[in-house]
Amino acid sequence: MVIKSPQDFGAGILFILFGAVGLYVGSDLTFGSARNMGPGYFPMIICGLIALIGLIVTVKSLAIEGPAIERIQLRPIVFILLAIAAFGILIAEIGAVISSILLIMFAAYARRDVKPVETVVFAVTTAAFVVIIFVYALGQPMPVWWGR
Amino acid sequence: MEVFEHLATGFMAAGSLENLMFCLIGVVLGTLIGVLPGIGPIPALAILLPITFGLDPLSSLIMLAGIYYGAQYGGSTTSILVNMPGEASSVVTCIEGHQMARKGRAGAALAIAALGSFFAGTIGTVFIAAFGPPLASIAQQFNSPDYFALMLLGLTMAIVLAHGSVLKAVAMVLIGLLLGLVGTDINTGLTRYTFGLSGLWEGIDFLPLVLGLFGIVEIIRNLENPPPPREAISTRMRDMWPTKKEFKEAYPAALRGTGLGSLLGILPGGGAVLASFASYTLEKKISKNPRKFGTGAVEGVAGPEAANNAAAQTSFIPLLTLGIPSNPIMAIMMGAMIIQGIQPGAAVMTTRPDLFWGMVASMWIGNLMLVVINLPMIGIWVKLLSVPYRLLYPAILLFCAIGVYSTSTEPFMMVLMIVFTVFGYILFKLGCEPAPMVLGFILGPLMEENLRRSLVISRGDPTIFIDRPISATLLVATVLMLCLIIFPQFRKTREEAFQEE
Repeated sequence: MVIKSPQDFGAGILFILFGAVGLYVGSDLTFGSARNMGPGYFPMIICGLIALIGLIVTVKSLAIEGPAIERIQLRPIVFILLAIAAFGILIAEIGAVISSILLIMFAAYARRDVKPVETVVFAVTTAAFVVIIFVYALGQPMPVWWGR
Repeated sequence: MEVFEHLATGFMAAGSLENLMFCLIGVVLGTLIGVLPGIGPIPALAILLPITFGLDPLSSLIMLAGIYYGAQYGGSTTSILVNMPGEASSVVTCIEGHQMARKGRAGAALAIAALGSFFAGTIGTVFIAAFGPPLASIAQQFNSPDYFALMLLGLTMAIVLAHGSVLKAVAMVLIGLLLGLVGTDINTGLTRYTFGLSGLWEGIDFLPLVLGLFGIVEIIRNLENPPPPREAISTRMRDMWPTKKEFKEAYPAALRGTGLGSLLGILPGGGAVLASFASYTLEKKISKNPRKFGTGAVEGVAGPEAANNAAAQTSFIPLLTLGIPSNPIMAIMMGAMIIQGIQPGAAVMTTRPDLFWGMVASMWIGNLMLVVINLPMIGIWVKLLSVPYRLLYPAILLFCAIGVYSTSTEPFMMVLMIVFTVFGYILFKLGCEPAPMVLGFILGPLMEENLRRSLVISRGDPTIFIDRPISATLLVATVLMLCLIIFPQFRKTREEAFQEE
């Protein structure tokens, strides 16, 4: 078996998984009948269709040439996710200003050759700016500093 | 004339100092984000969505509409000056507009695009005012089977218009529908697909979904494949005025584009993208000198720009009268309306006339503001293009994170945003386009409800969909669209159309 279109093969498998999980989790829900649709009726049909399309896409990927999956670069996605996670965990504890600065610092490292001084200056100004807009101008409720 | 009375109500509501200000903020912010290369209206709307939540419903809708037009205008500017389309609907502007710019007519191209868009926007506004109410009364004859058939047609159109593989687009729509069903089933009160997480009881939150899929994935994409640095072609205010010849070529094209765009905007699945491609094809077909297309044809800028703006306006009609979004952008608009506590549909016009007409009026005001801020201030927007990406993306990311946090302090929202970022990243790697998924996500619960009601009415007999003339017509249209996808010749043109990107 040779995979001729890696992108489609991956997509097909993803769809099959999606459909299968949907069918499995949804199997507890009452299916009902067309006349009296249960909560499982519509989702089960959709999951079935997703899995079916997944199957077709997978089979086609074995027969028809297609694009390769681009190499996954870990650095951007890892640092971007870290930045969001740090912000999400810390904002309630240490306030918007410092968690915003942290987010920008983390995000900056998603690229190579970071300029540390520029990043710090930029982080502090942007954090101040964003907090002024969201907290003072738009009146969004969020802690500015810690201990509140 | 009732139309003018309605419009007067609208201008009263939209013309308050406060709303004018929000309209201005909207178009400025929209242009600001839209000018950035690679960011089209969908990510722009997603990124700026949270700042509108604190406002009252009318102001927030006015601002959102402003953001949308602003982003589209901004996208055209970038297309013409840098040859980098921010979104599918400015791809064609890129073809001719950038060629004009390289010939030293950048200013004229910008002016033609702006004036054409403004003209189309004006007609589009009148169009909504004139056709909104009659369509809303037709909408009142719509019954569950008709709604279901209409949504089916809309989703099919979204599939036809999506990039890349048709099968994958179908799967994306279906996954969207399924994600839309997560949460508590309205009829039985049972929770579905919540995996025991209380954060999912009320369904998947819209904001982390769109921000993850469009805002943040976009950043990661740009970081992985940094766009090659391109020099923006500079222009000055005094070079803006089109020559007499250019004007003569431009205005009939803008007229045709406006007409075509207004019509295509109303169709399910229609919208700015379809309209600009259709107008470009039309101009090329009827031109006496088709060979100049591709080398900076004025008609190729005026027509599509007018068409996409007209369609951007009239695509609000199905949303505001039927409560059904016709494309992913309108799906985001609908998501925003629901968050504001407004269920879009024919009822809005009668229960909240100030809201409906205020929004319509603000569209025209917004378009006027865009011409004013775009033409004289073009230098500022060009400067913005030179802000390095290494500074832009952390700021955008921070904006997304604060936006989510300001609407809900639940840490679960951040988790959702991370999950959808990862999901969107996987989809990007596998060559699946997420835009049709958003449409499915918004339509999921509506489709289920209308299917259920239809089948209750007919006691489980599916022929109800064929018996009713409205739904039968819509279903025939759906089948025709499906045939078009399968029919090899059309498929080829579709592939070619997207090749040009």
